[in-house]
Amino acid sequence: MRFWKWALATTAISGIAVIGALVVWPIGQDVAPITLAGDVKKGGYLARASGCIACHTNFEGGGKPLAGGVKLDTPFGALYSANLTSDPELGIGGWTVEEFAKAVRQGISPEGEPYYPAFTYPFYANFSDQDIADLYAAFQTVKAVPEAAPANEMPFPFNQRWGLKVWRAAFLKQPATDPISGQDPEWNRGRELVGGATHCAACHTPRNLIGARKSADEHFAGNPSLPGGSKAPAIDYNTLRKRDWTVDSLAYALKTGIMPDGDTFGGSMNEVVQQGTRFLTNEDRRAMAVYLMDDHSGG
Amino acid sequence: MAKKILIPSVLIAFIGVAAMAHNGATGIVKERMDGMSAMGKAVKALTPIMRGAVEYDADKVRSAADVMIKHAGEQMISLFPEGTGGMPSSALPAVWDNWEEFSKISNELKAYAEGMKIAAGNGLAEDAVEQDDAMMGGSNDTMMGETSEDTMGGGTMGAETMITAEMFATMPVDTAFASVAQTCSACHQKFRAKEN
Repeated sequence: MRFWKWALATTAISGIAVIGALVVWPIGQDVAPITLAGDVKKGGYLARASGCIACHTNFEGGGKPLAGGVKLDTPFGALYSANLTSDPELGIGGWTVEEFAKAVRQGISPEGEPYYPAFTYPFYANFSDQDIADLYAAFQTVKAVPEAAPANEMPFPFNQRWGLKVWRAAFLKQPATDPISGQDPEWNRGRELVGGATHCAACHTPRNLIGARKSADEHFAGNPSLPGGSKAPAIDYNTLRKRDWTVDSLAYALKTGIMPDGDTFGGSMNEVVQQGTRFLTNEDRRAMAVYLMDDHSGG
Repeated sequence: MAKKILIPSVLIAFIGVAAMAHNGATGIVKERMDGMSAMGKAVKALTPIMRGAVEYDADKVRSAADVMIKHAGEQMISLFPEGTGGMPSSALPAVWDNWEEFSKISNELKAYAEGMKIAAGNGLAEDAVEQDDAMMGGSNDTMMGETSEDTMGGGTMGAETMITAEMFATMPVDTAFASVAQTCSACHQKFRAKEN
């Protein structure tokens, strides 16, 4: 009897100690000062490509651009996208460029808290300092909206941010955006966009029970249960070819939403096109299509 | 004798059932599916024209527009009576939960298609073939999400602008076509179940 009491107490204490250690476990790397001048236009372009406007604008509820509040029903609870307007209190207007860089590339808030991976920061990890400076400059032009996004509705234990540190340690990987030698610049540009900014795999690669992408063996195999109940089809190159896509028709679909059979995208892909890829250059859409239609296994 | 007739009829009936089960739709659901397919075909026919991949043909544009005009608006709305969702229909319950919006989009589609018909004589925008407006011409306001138009219920004090076909009268035809396609997609996002 006494033994069990002791065992229980010891387990509890060591459990608390582990959690305590996790709570104070520092994550991420310091960001070296970024002094580059940002180009607002390039930043706006990258923001479109990255889906910032799509996810952080509540179109449904008539919300202001980038004021957040879009509900995402994940299997772990409901998340609301953050206010990214220049409001100094409720938006990100008070952030330094280095804090911004850490949030975008590493998924860590200025307070040092890890973000939920619903924010697709894992794809932005290779953004250059210049990309960050451009984005930062563009976000500073966004009209301040003094509205707080609703609080997340995450039940225990998913509301414990230290849990995300374990998740990061287990699953956070470098995005596949690095150029592959021997491939032409268009292909590599496609890789940079698809594996990075446009984060196709966020929806088109299935996730495991704790929300990590199964990139190793189910890359682009589709996701039958997206947050909110939608589905994402497989977009691996074999499937795309089997379904009669071509580089040309895919590039065009990313511009207009029109598929080869005359039907149009439904689901959240409509939003991806209307709020994102529609704004890209023909060259970039084509580069994405070239990469997607080609065998890029291992990358 | 009776058997001789019976067997083929049973067979035919079976094939009939099988064919129906394949698509599964009958009656009003089938009717609206056929309408959607007809519009899909029209979009498919228009796509190479709008991309400048084939020679521009105003009459083809007008006849494709007619297909959409015929199937959109009130016609489409009338084919979605309450209680006709669920298998085999792909229509989501959202259609009836947001009936006003559904009707609005349906009417917009008709207006855009009419606009496309009116604008058919205008031809394509000069840059339609290798268009690159977003990066160069687009203002940063648009890039960061600001729009001049009032999107989706933002304005409550009667600010809602009526979309009319005449608005497209002086525009290149591909502008109207883009609006048509956006309407299809917007409606499918909200009101159609995903298949795969």
